Amino acid sequence: MSIIKVENITKIYNETKVPVHALNGISFEIQEGEFTAIVGPSGCGKTTLLNILGGLDHPTEGRVEIAKTDITGMKDKDLIDFRLNNIGFVFQAYNLIPVLTTLENVEFIMLLQKVDKKKRIERAMNLLREMGIADKANQRPSELSGGQQQRVAVARALASKPNFILADEPTANLDSVSTTNLLDMMAKMNKEENETFVFSTHDQRVIDKARRVITLVDGTILSDETK
Amino acid sequence: MILKIAWKNVWRSRGRSAVVMGSIVVGIWALIFGTGFMNGFMESYMADVINHDVSNFQIHNPQFKKDYDVKLFIPDGEQKAEEIRTWPGVKVTTSRAILNGMISSSRKGSGIQIRGIDPKEEAEVTRLDSLIIEGTYFEGMSRNPIVIGEKLAEELKIKLKSKVVLTFNDAKGNLTAAAYRVVGIVKSSSVKINSQYAYVRKQDLFKNLANGANVHEIAVVTNEQTDEEILVAKYNEKYKEDKAESWREIAPELAILQEMYSQSLYILLVIIMLALAFGIVNTMLMAVLERTRELGMLMAIGMNKVRVFFMVVVETIYLSAVGTPFGLFISWLTIKYYRNVGVDLSNYSEGLESFGYSSILYPFVTGDAYVIVSIGVVITAIVGALYPAWKAIKLNPVEALHKV
Repeated sequence: MSIIKVENITKIYNETKVPVHALNGISFEIQEGEFTAIVGPSGCGKTTLLNILGGLDHPTEGRVEIAKTDITGMKDKDLIDFRLNNIGFVFQAYNLIPVLTTLENVEFIMLLQKVDKKKRIERAMNLLREMGIADKANQRPSELSGGQQQRVAVARALASKPNFILADEPTANLDSVSTTNLLDMMAKMNKEENETFVFSTHDQRVIDKARRVITLVDGTILSDETK
Repeated sequence: MILKIAWKNVWRSRGRSAVVMGSIVVGIWALIFGTGFMNGFMESYMADVINHDVSNFQIHNPQFKKDYDVKLFIPDGEQKAEEIRTWPGVKVTTSRAILNGMISSSRKGSGIQIRGIDPKEEAEVTRLDSLIIEGTYFEGMSRNPIVIGEKLAEELKIKLKSKVVLTFNDAKGNLTAAAYRVVGIVKSSSVKINSQYAYVRKQDLFKNLANGANVHEIAVVTNEQTDEEILVAKYNEKYKEDKAESWREIAPELAILQEMYSQSLYILLVIIMLALAFGIVNTMLMAVLERTRELGMLMAIGMNKVRVFFMVVVETIYLSAVGTPFGLFISWLTIKYYRNVGVDLSNYSEGLESFGYSSILYPFVTGDAYVIVSIGVVITAIVGALYPAWKAIKLNPVEALHKV
């Protein structure tokens, strides 16, 4: 089943002044359960593409379909709800809520979805267990290592039962051990739970782990390889 | 959990939150103590004027106050005063013979109002006896004693037992003079009592008036819970030939002062709340700008704008909710303390007394003041949060997430 369908999207910044073409007619599809890395040099359009896939930005032209829903012309207000229920985000800088505990951070997104408290706690604890950090449930993010924080971020992204996880340079701030651990966790979730992951990355270890690699150069797809 | 996040966010920057809470505490204290202080001023001034001078209401011949003609007396005035004394809600009454005249010492003369009184009743109505600072209150002198104010005594350069001559027109229009001897000197914050009135016994004055035992003024003091306006209306209905007036009509400046004072309190409230609002806007704006990336993340993962807005507003309400009880408590303590011991303004007593104020003030506030101030702070907090909350929801998640 196609989770993401991108048709001929372009993104032009500063259209009226000095136009910058960030994406030039990109098209591809990502199926459920894929483990995809979007790679390329800085300025190639990775982040722009991820923002559009995540419903955080609109393409100038073209069409984006997520789980059979066309989000291209969706209003910002509707996109917020759409993101909440369909897309899990993992950020480079973890972006956990510092005043909440690990458990509360994971629980929070389900609260936005109005899930019952009992179910929230149960699912959050299960995810923390799967990520190997259940013992850190009552600790604040500041008390965790970078790798542990990023695992909490992955648990949070999975908590909302999204159609896919969008991870923007998730290993950029991690050491090699933490990177390996995180990738193993995500690969396990992908394999066992059939979770769909889309990464933007420079990291060769992520690229090596990915089963599909889309390479961007100057806003166009240079290659799209499935291993 | 949004409430929990908002609460915890309050304590993220303890120093900054403490400054805002401190300003709320100081603002509330300033407002309530300022109100209490002004209340004390007004209470003291009005009590002085009502208790020592005009009383709750007075009765005159309708024409009397135009030129204080001795012939314009209240028919059966003394009997009417006796009758009113029996009315429910009336505490005490007294009747006076009043005329304008001159007082002369051996060195100087001055225009005054001569007030023929019943010393016992007058003491009950205006507590004139409590104002004696030298001599006695009509005691120890059997023939023509007179009590005058301190300023008048200074002006006439006279002291106790000095002889003065009162000159006035009697009921037949003849210029009459009578000699009196100073038995007591009074001091009051009332300018009239201090320098414009001379008190003599009614029966002494009647001898010189050729007017019979007629009085020109009845002063009535009511119980505290009695509305004098009702009694005024009752009297005017019953005795149409006379005119009863409440202190509001007799001393309209008091009513105006009371009105101005109420308005000035609202102005004070607005000024302090405005200052507080700017402090809150500044602090919450800093809090929002500091958390740009976090707010961007919240919006990115699906927290809608209503919730983000609500979270910022609730944070501000929490800030004020913590500061307000402290402010109210400190205000209550301060008011309670100074209500007992008084605020001593004796360094400024001369200036204050010349305006009719007492030099020791006893601040007080009613329970309403605490409620109004609390509501004012909450409204200010909400208003102060609107702009920062609006800035928060206007953040673009993509830009916010990449903010360093």
